[in-house]
Amino acid sequence: MALSGFEGFEKRLELHFFGDDFQLGLRKIEFESIKLVLEQVQCTVVSAVGNAYFDAYVLSESSLFVYPTKIIIKTCGTTQLLKSIPPLIFFSSLIGFTLSSCRYTRGTFIFPKSQPFPHTSFKDEVSYLEHTIPSNLSFTKASIMPSSISSSHSWHVFTATIPHHHHHHHHQLNNQLFTMEVCMTDLDPILARKFFRRPDDEKTGHSAGKDMTELTGIDEINPDALICDFAFDPCGYSMNGMDGDWYSTIHVTPEDGFSYASFECVASVNANNIGHVLRKVVQIFRPGTMSVSTTCSGYSNETWKQMASAVEPLGFKCRSCAMDQFPAAGTVVFQTFTPRRKST
Amino acid sequence: MADEGLVIGCHTVDAWKQQLDNAQASNELVVVDFTASWCGPCRIMAPILEDLAKKMPDVRFLKVDVDELNSVAEEWNIEAMPTFLFLKQGQLLDKVVGAEKDQLQQTLTKHASS
Repeated sequence: MALSGFEGFEKRLELHFFGDDFQLGLRKIEFESIKLVLEQVQCTVVSAVGNAYFDAYVLSESSLFVYPTKIIIKTCGTTQLLKSIPPLIFFSSLIGFTLSSCRYTRGTFIFPKSQPFPHTSFKDEVSYLEHTIPSNLSFTKASIMPSSISSSHSWHVFTATIPHHHHHHHHQLNNQLFTMEVCMTDLDPILARKFFRRPDDEKTGHSAGKDMTELTGIDEINPDALICDFAFDPCGYSMNGMDGDWYSTIHVTPEDGFSYASFECVASVNANNIGHVLRKVVQIFRPGTMSVSTTCSGYSNETWKQMASAVEPLGFKCRSCAMDQFPAAGTVVFQTFTPRRKST
Repeated sequence: MADEGLVIGCHTVDAWKQQLDNAQASNELVVVDFTASWCGPCRIMAPILEDLAKKMPDVRFLKVDVDELNSVAEEWNIEAMPTFLFLKQGQLLDKVVGAEKDQLQQTLTKHASS
């Protein structure tokens, strides 16, 4: 384990807003305003694309998704993600939107001492969040979900919402969704090498990214998705996938000693292929340790049950499983996996 | 030409067809920017495209709003924006999907010289 290196583990923020315009909503926020928000977080836009349902941005330190009534930002490294909240509240208010719920999640940092305030500890993050979000979001809960592996693989969750507020999910009425966040460490070094650029290849980041997408089989995870990919110099990879109004995103820090990869997607609880998706992800990275967090609004979360059986044939065993309920977010299940026979 | 060095907006199907015909007659490379007013990433590329149009007067730069010219967007299978199509003699040479400044520049250089 290196003394210090790039922090792959992301901080993820999901903000829901309500306002009059459910069609376009937050997509009307000026790009110049978005740039200002990202400046607060210390990251920049590397690539971007939009379809009928949402806009997807690949950032220098991960991803941003702008839907009509929700924004999802996920950033890694030493970015101060929570600083995006005040400007986002401000710019959304200009178009008549107000914050209705907030959800913040992250794994455990590989290099916690390298994180700037307020990411110095979960306690500091929660305190910062509670002081930053509007006071009417008074129904809050913060919890660190444990794993049996060690304290180095926990799942931190904070959510806040307006009490008794009915959340509109206009495009989800008949189709309940869940979010799956996969964090992988100790990647197979040979597979991780595919995310290093060839020196002097004279390709653009996008072109080299496209090669990596095809070479690694990332394009086979969901063949229907439009992929916006980017390869960083000298190594590192990011992609956003768009399939109708579903997003997916992958970020890779391939360096040996602190290798990390994440996969995240939103899908329907009725979809029966999430096991296939997880299996493909495991085959691409072959991690030493993997955590899978699924979030489902409401009281039931059955999707987690498919995870263990999906990766068992690949030699991965579920080591822990924790479940908890959070305001607005619903039911969160956090599982960890390691290969059956781990070589020391 | 009066519109040399500018991105030409096509607001009717006739105007679109006229532009393609003119380009075909002068054997010009055509770069079409398919945009939507409600798409954030499209706004990133607008100034970049204007700049490229000034620098490459031999290339015809067109702009099509997918809602305004719905039939044209469908004809060319536009699913995400911005999408840049590279056309010559009515044939599709290349495509760049997304606000990819470097990729657009590189593809432009590749086809403008041929």
